[in-house]
Amino acid sequence: MKHILKFTFSFCVVLLSSTGSAQQKTETKKDSVPVKKERYGVRLGVDLFKLTRSFYETDYRGLELVGDYRITRRHYLAAEIGNENKTVSDDPLNFTTKGTYLKVGFDYNGYENWLNMENIIFVGLRYGVSSFSQTLNSYQIYNPNPYFGEAPVVISGDNFDGLSAQWIEVVAGMKAEVFKNIFVGFSFRLNRLVSQKRPNNFDNLYIPGFNRTYNGDFGVGFNYTVSYFLPLYKSTVKAKKKVNKKK
Amino acid sequence: MKKIYLLMMVTLALSGCEKDDICTEETTPRLILEFYDISNPANLKNVLNVKVKGVGQMNDLATYNGVSKIALPLNPTENSTKYSLIINSTSSTVAPNEDFLEFDYTHKNVFVSRACGYKTTYTLNNPNGILLTDAATPDTFWIQDINIITTNITTENETHIKIYF
Repeated sequence: MKHILKFTFSFCVVLLSSTGSAQQKTETKKDSVPVKKERYGVRLGVDLFKLTRSFYETDYRGLELVGDYRITRRHYLAAEIGNENKTVSDDPLNFTTKGTYLKVGFDYNGYENWLNMENIIFVGLRYGVSSFSQTLNSYQIYNPNPYFGEAPVVISGDNFDGLSAQWIEVVAGMKAEVFKNIFVGFSFRLNRLVSQKRPNNFDNLYIPGFNRTYNGDFGVGFNYTVSYFLPLYKSTVKAKKKVNKKK
Repeated sequence: MKKIYLLMMVTLALSGCEKDDICTEETTPRLILEFYDISNPANLKNVLNVKVKGVGQMNDLATYNGVSKIALPLNPTENSTKYSLIINSTSSTVAPNEDFLEFDYTHKNVFVSRACGYKTTYTLNNPNGILLTDAATPDTFWIQDINIITTNITTENETHIKIYF
């Protein structure tokens, strides 16, 4: 009987101690979470879509440099700067638009990464400004009643300098690390004009950075970027928020 | 992720339909003439078998019968267009009568849209925008009076010239 009591007592002690030690273990694990560090820095890249179009489209030249800077765990300051030279040769109109643009805004990363991955799926906003000039190369008179014959194409050569436009862009896209510090990404953009300076007796049918104007106000964009991440410092991930979320 | 899909859909939708590639706006206008009764100037009067032909053109523009409003295209590359108007041109009982109307104007090209390109609008000379002359072998005028309502020919939605006969 004595032996049985001793056994049960000691067994209980062992159990308790084991549970206690188990608790201790999990606690130490939790403590190790805040040690996780994430890299902060600048990412600089180039838009390959514009670059390749410059090669296969004879009437297009374009270059866009992209960059972003991580300011919080999920927010990035982002900017694009570029230059475009585009000739549109539609049936009634043939014109060339040249100019430079700058877009500044932020991206919000909505993607929760595993371990040390640094991929991004983001939505963002940009404010874009463009300064450009247009040359009306030639145009046709639209005449629905050509009793005196079809109107010949008018060679114009009119130059419209000092044009400008400002717009807001909604961006959505992703960036993935394919090699160490090398990111590949793409983004879709919806643009809406805020203001523009129109040429006299012509219109801004193409705006560098904004692309083709639809019904006057709307535009769409796309870019495909390759960029290099330049790490500047590391910051520990705050654990408090995480623990709160789990609870 | 849902937001991204939505954005992609909207992007595709926008790039898919190119509505503004079809010219739907009003472009180069014609000259709108309305015919009135000389004995009762407030009333419209229908013309009978008026054959209209641009001087120097191979084909007739049209023969108008039983209408009080006609539209004449102006030559967009010249500053003058002359039309021959022969009333009762197909009648076997009444002798046809030919009058000439010469329109003198300036023209300019005005931007319309991406799909339409440019249109030509006209401004009749003021004064002497219209010159009425008789046929080579004089047969008296069937057009009694001309009233220019507006010298700016920019739309076909209004009458530019009233003709009394």
